[in-house]
Amino acid sequence: MRVLVTGMGGELGTRVAQLLEARDDVDEVAGVDFVPPRRRLRRAEFRRIDPRNRDRLVEFVQEYAPSVVAHFGVYEPASRMGPTAAAERTELSTVASLSAAARAGNLEYVVVRSGLEVYGRRVSAASVPDEAVPPAPGSPYGETLLGVEAMAARLGRHHGFPVGALRYAPVVGSHVPSPLGRLLRLPVVPVPAFSDPPFSLLHPDDAAEAMVAAVVRRVAGPLNVVGPGAATPWQAALLGGRVPMPVAPPLWRWATRAAELAGAAMAPHMIELLRHGRTGSGSRAVGVLGLRELRPTQQVLQELYEWAQVVPLVTATEAVA
Amino acid sequence: MSPLRSADFGIDPDRIGEAEPIARALSRRLGGRYPVDPFGFDPMLADLATPVARALVRVRTEGADRIPETGPAVFVANRGLGIGEPMALGVAVGEMVGRRLRVVGAPGVPFVNGLVRRLGSVHASPEDLAACLRAGHLVAVPLGPTWLRTGAGSPPLELCAAMMGFTVYPVAVTPGGPLGAPIRPWRVRIGPHIELDDTYAPGDPLGAAELGDAMRRAVEEMLAGRAAAP
Repeated sequence: MRVLVTGMGGELGTRVAQLLEARDDVDEVAGVDFVPPRRRLRRAEFRRIDPRNRDRLVEFVQEYAPSVVAHFGVYEPASRMGPTAAAERTELSTVASLSAAARAGNLEYVVVRSGLEVYGRRVSAASVPDEAVPPAPGSPYGETLLGVEAMAARLGRHHGFPVGALRYAPVVGSHVPSPLGRLLRLPVVPVPAFSDPPFSLLHPDDAAEAMVAAVVRRVAGPLNVVGPGAATPWQAALLGGRVPMPVAPPLWRWATRAAELAGAAMAPHMIELLRHGRTGSGSRAVGVLGLRELRPTQQVLQELYEWAQVVPLVTATEAVA
Repeated sequence: MSPLRSADFGIDPDRIGEAEPIARALSRRLGGRYPVDPFGFDPMLADLATPVARALVRVRTEGADRIPETGPAVFVANRGLGIGEPMALGVAVGEMVGRRLRVVGAPGVPFVNGLVRRLGSVHASPEDLAACLRAGHLVAVPLGPTWLRTGAGSPPLELCAAMMGFTVYPVAVTPGGPLGAPIRPWRVRIGPHIELDDTYAPGDPLGAAELGDAMRRAVEEMLAGRAAAP
């Protein structure tokens, strides 16, 4: 199996590449991204290509001719770039890499990274949606993710290969450049004044293992991958020893600006999460992907805060003394 | 890992626990050390509310041996207009097997919705009901409201499809006094589980309609005293 990991420079892409490298049934691993991998890779080939450089990306993918694509070239707004740049790079990366892989003629399976954001949070909608609930995104990022899923599915139908979509709960971890993680580590965290809706999280290692399981088992269709349990914005702030700052609905715009000035940019999908919650039923994925016990949301939060503790450095003089 | 550092902070999300002393409970709340589930249920808050509910609603339960000690099941019960019947059923289940009961039908009113979900209410959608059962919870599904408590109320057909494949028990709940006045304990009768033709595939609309009719008939007969609980 020749696997192409798009978005290999991200935390998840690098981790997936490492897990794939360790498998005997994976002959070759290659990856592309506009930033280099975050850890050492032993046998994976990496090309640093910006998705905006379409010709180079197409040329590399066609030359590599993967049999499987693990598509992590999906960029979350406010993570490494602004909402417009993230949507643009995601679209370019998806169109160029998937269509080039299909044209190369060796493609057997595609799995894309998606998210629970595709379900949106309509008042009448299920509060814990499973895969049967029709997606209805309520944020630009949700629409982008649904667009990626739709594009991959169309390509799969046209060329006759199965396509899977892993709808991750927000992935938060000490090394993941997650806007939600950044916001929760501020000393003062904006929270909704009149509600406290639950949201679920996913540990980055669990997200990577789910992707590898999908590649190996070639699971078609959407699957929610969600850590057990949930947390609420008020609780998450208190758990980390932060001060929850209640925000009334008309004031979210100001809260967003204040958070941005403090170093944690907030995109609309994050405001949606804080105000209306974000959970999903992930029981199907556990069975279909054969996942071992996923780390609960509360544990993911605790790890996030433990990492955030500032450890005073001991200077050479102090150490000697 | 110490209980306070585990994912559920030492509080069992399925079994009712002892209410903590106020000072300790307050310290936990301020430290954020309490579990929440994806439906918004807050077991610690529910444990604090349980003694109040038991003081307000006394129950006499028949057929309690049918309540499963573990795993999912649905209790379909009659309901008047208010929350008396679901509350009585919740108290009965808690007293008999020590498990928590999720009640389908959180109202869509801002703030109230959040509060009742914290205490165990679930949004009345087939997806949420199915997810709750898949997670292994005991769930109460009230039939349509009946003002004068003379019948069983209409079955929620949309939810019946989600219940197929799970064990469904009919329950008749009758108040202790007129208009639910706590003169005598509420009477909670749990009937034998409803058998459904196994040729129906899960989610089959015809099977759901048949299950709905069977549920209504069973509850109605128990309310009329034609079927005994034990």
